Amino acid sequence: MRKIAKKSYLLISVLMLILLAACSGNGTVPASGDSSKNAGGPVSAKIGVISYLSGPGAAYGEAITNGFNLALDEINKKGDVKIELVIEDSAGKQEQALTVAQKLMSDDDIVGLLGPTLSTEMNVVGPEADLNGIPIMGTSTTAAGIPQIGDYVFRNSLPESLAIPAALEKAVAANDAKTVAILYGNDDLFTKSGYDTMKKEAENMGLDILTIETFQKGQSDYNAQLTKIKDLKPDLILASALYNEGAVIMDQARKMGIDVPFVGGNGFNSPQVIEIAGDASEGLIVATPWFGEKDEPKVQEFVKKYEEKYGAKPDQFAAQAYDALYIMEEGLKNAGEADRDALRDALAEIKDLDGVLGKFSFDKVGDVVMEPTVLIIKEGKFQLFE
Amino acid sequence: MLGELLNPYHLQIASFIMINIILGISIYITLSSGQLSLGNAGFMGIGAYTSALLTIHFELPIFIGVILGALVAGIFGILIGIPALRLSGVYLAIATLGFGEVIRVIFVNWESVTQGAVGLSGVPHLGRELFKTVTAMGFEPEMLGLRNNQVVYLMVLTLLVVINILLIWFFIRQNKSRVGRAFAAIKMDEKAAESMGINITYYKVLSFTQGALLAGFAGALYAHVMAYISPADFAYHRAIEILIFSVFGGSEVIWGAIFGATFMTILPEALRVISEYRYMIYGVILILMMAFRPQGIIDVSLLKWIKNMIKSRRRTDHGTGTKKHN
Repeated sequence: MRKIAKKSYLLISVLMLILLAACSGNGTVPASGDSSKNAGGPVSAKIGVISYLSGPGAAYGEAITNGFNLALDEINKKGDVKIELVIEDSAGKQEQALTVAQKLMSDDDIVGLLGPTLSTEMNVVGPEADLNGIPIMGTSTTAAGIPQIGDYVFRNSLPESLAIPAALEKAVAANDAKTVAILYGNDDLFTKSGYDTMKKEAENMGLDILTIETFQKGQSDYNAQLTKIKDLKPDLILASALYNEGAVIMDQARKMGIDVPFVGGNGFNSPQVIEIAGDASEGLIVATPWFGEKDEPKVQEFVKKYEEKYGAKPDQFAAQAYDALYIMEEGLKNAGEADRDALRDALAEIKDLDGVLGKFSFDKVGDVVMEPTVLIIKEGKFQLFE
Repeated sequence: MLGELLNPYHLQIASFIMINIILGISIYITLSSGQLSLGNAGFMGIGAYTSALLTIHFELPIFIGVILGALVAGIFGILIGIPALRLSGVYLAIATLGFGEVIRVIFVNWESVTQGAVGLSGVPHLGRELFKTVTAMGFEPEMLGLRNNQVVYLMVLTLLVVINILLIWFFIRQNKSRVGRAFAAIKMDEKAAESMGINITYYKVLSFTQGALLAGFAGALYAHVMAYISPADFAYHRAIEILIFSVFGGSEVIWGAIFGATFMTILPEALRVISEYRYMIYGVILILMMAFRPQGIIDVSLLKWIKNMIKSRRRTDHGTGTKKHN
């Protein structure tokens, strides 16, 4: 017994030593006077970024950090506010998002957090950030209930509860639709949350829901669901799917002879749909905060700069991240000092800030107020839907 | 002074290490009787959801929720363990992996209770609840020169460390008892063990149930440390991760599972410096490991060697005292 107790003490002390050794090397050393307010000079602040940089969803994290870095260069060149980003990877896992958030939060120089990428991660990190009193802003977290976590939790990503009604309203008006069929992925937070909005909105608009069908992530055959939908002859099909499944669904539906328009959520909005489904993707209606072809100098300039730097067209995640850092800049500028509470209050005040996504404001819980753009796929590309 | 040492980041990692050690032991226990079970992620999910739902809807204290979560997982362990007796080796692995997926799909589809893929948020947080209790008793974090969140995570970690010491102590004792020897005999040769009069059915179900119980226990703790759970947390990735703890550290001895869980939790954090490449290194380490030390880092002979090292050092340390033995 004593031996075992001794052994376990030994083990624990060794573990603690390893832990300390492992974690001591990678802290960033703050330069002297870096994050304090320089008298008269611009506010300089450190902002922590939690992003999904390794694993199956790394493409999202990459687009997001590209967006941040592009905005960072511009902001620091402009010089109103000096920002330093500390970027950490969460690998899409809640545990890692939480530990890394702890790491960033325990650095007193860091005044705000951007990210994490997934809504599931935000559900874990948000309450902790709120408890510790550090403002956190999601740039890609669209599920319901995120800004309601606490006073310090914000987001600038257009939630499904705004995007879907906009798309649905326009689609119903244009097609004079009375009946709809709903199809959704039930094992993903994003698509499930989109479905909840679709159902609620369709009921509010007095549409007749003929059937509700489900599918799972990675499914490749949707004929069973589509046959049923075809027999019921709906005027519109509401599909809450991510683009990879969504494109296959459209392809199979068109082959079966279903030619009514599809209304999709934010996750369905990707140029990949056209690539995968080809002609079958015609008639997909989505609402999005981001439209790269928009005839606005600000948008075009951003697209050009992004393409020059990263060799690819920016997607909505990059655009949202780009805007998010500008929102942080505005917040810091208005706060006038690098302080967590001052930044929170300044962020909550932000109104009608011009970004590449359009005019941006926070509502009183820290959610997005903005007009989404409704797009339709026509002649092989996304076009404005009027 | 104490305040600077206790970084919430380090405390958080240490808490995850403790939970992962329990998971590592849970698979070590089933492996110790020669059964390869990949259903531990499913049992973990049962424990997590049971405890989370009970504490949210019936406002039970966390401590009762965790115990009930573990018990429910244990009952499922018995239910699965009995029919699974007829299977062994990879067949058992596939059947239990299937069980884990079934559990996950139930969590996804039973929306009225589990809220489906959206997951359960607002699970009472172990540390915050404990904090409320101690502050109500008149304790102030400033008395130790600590901040609130340091105290919260320090309490969680202390509790987990105590739980772990008790568990490890229990299983080391068990290994040296009749039960442990029966497990070892069954692992070596089932037929021979049976002919020696060991009740195979009883001991195999016992080890399977112990594994399920522990996984459920770890799951329940996980739910209250994260304060949010979703079905995706208990998918087969988790089952594989748990298996790696034990296989990497060494599946023959309990210290292997403990070491594996510790190492595998620290590694991704320690490699943060090299950011995007860290999972590559992680993979490379696993491959090298399997190529050069398939039995895992810690095995019986290594433990013996360490013991001898310690003994011989002691001999030199206390030169006069040990002369008698020579």
